[in-house]
Amino acid sequence: MLVRFDVPRTLNTLFEDFAVSESAPSTRSFPALDIAEYENETVIVAELPGLKKEDVKITFEEDVLTLSGERKPYEIPQDARVLINENRVRTFNRSIRFGHDVDANRISADLQNGMLKVVVPKAESAKPRTIEVK
Amino acid sequence: MENIIIPVADVYETAEEFVLKLDLPGVEKEKINITIQPGRISIKGEVDTTHRDEARLLLREIGLKTYYREFNLGEGIQHQAARAEFEQSVLTVILPKTDAAKAKIISIR
Repeated sequence: MLVRFDVPRTLNTLFEDFAVSESAPSTRSFPALDIAEYENETVIVAELPGLKKEDVKITFEEDVLTLSGERKPYEIPQDARVLINENRVRTFNRSIRFGHDVDANRISADLQNGMLKVVVPKAESAKPRTIEVK
Repeated sequence: MENIIIPVADVYETAEEFVLKLDLPGVEKEKINITIQPGRISIKGEVDTTHRDEARLLLREIGLKTYYREFNLGEGIQHQAARAEFEQSVLTVILPKTDAAKAKIISIR
């Protein structure tokens, strides 16, 4: 028969947080997005920590760009004791509607350092034009 | 003023070690600073902008920020043996326990 115990002192005093700012871990929409417009394209940046590119799905349909996917849970050893568990969002789905025509075939995306960057080129009709005065 | 954000964390312990996992999206590995001392560990990471100067920002939820979080540590951690990994912008810090703090299995004769 086996008996198992831990050293209580370490357990009880470890990982007691103290805050450094008023903002608690973010509970806003997930993922957080930046949308930046340029002359010829729109760039969407999404914060996706812990995701691999195969965990993310990007679709464009009827003027709507949709980012969806799932964050896979960590592999935690079976005998582990969880002390802090703040990561609750596992699946996500966010859509952005475009008010102008886009060149859907040239939409590109990459994921680096937990930041997904989607580049949506404008269609010719949506690019700014300079009008010459005759 | 610097915008300081507390990164989301997961922490667990096994018989051998404590494991901290923190989300640091947008932080380059070189911009992460981990300081460990008896009784405390602090983790800091700075986010740089990804936008070019001429961008017109239609939505800004990410912004510039510095992630910072501290944890109090109890006794029984081998500070010198702490190690860290950074993958998919998740920082993993492993803090091995000292032999005295490790879970003991005592067999009854």
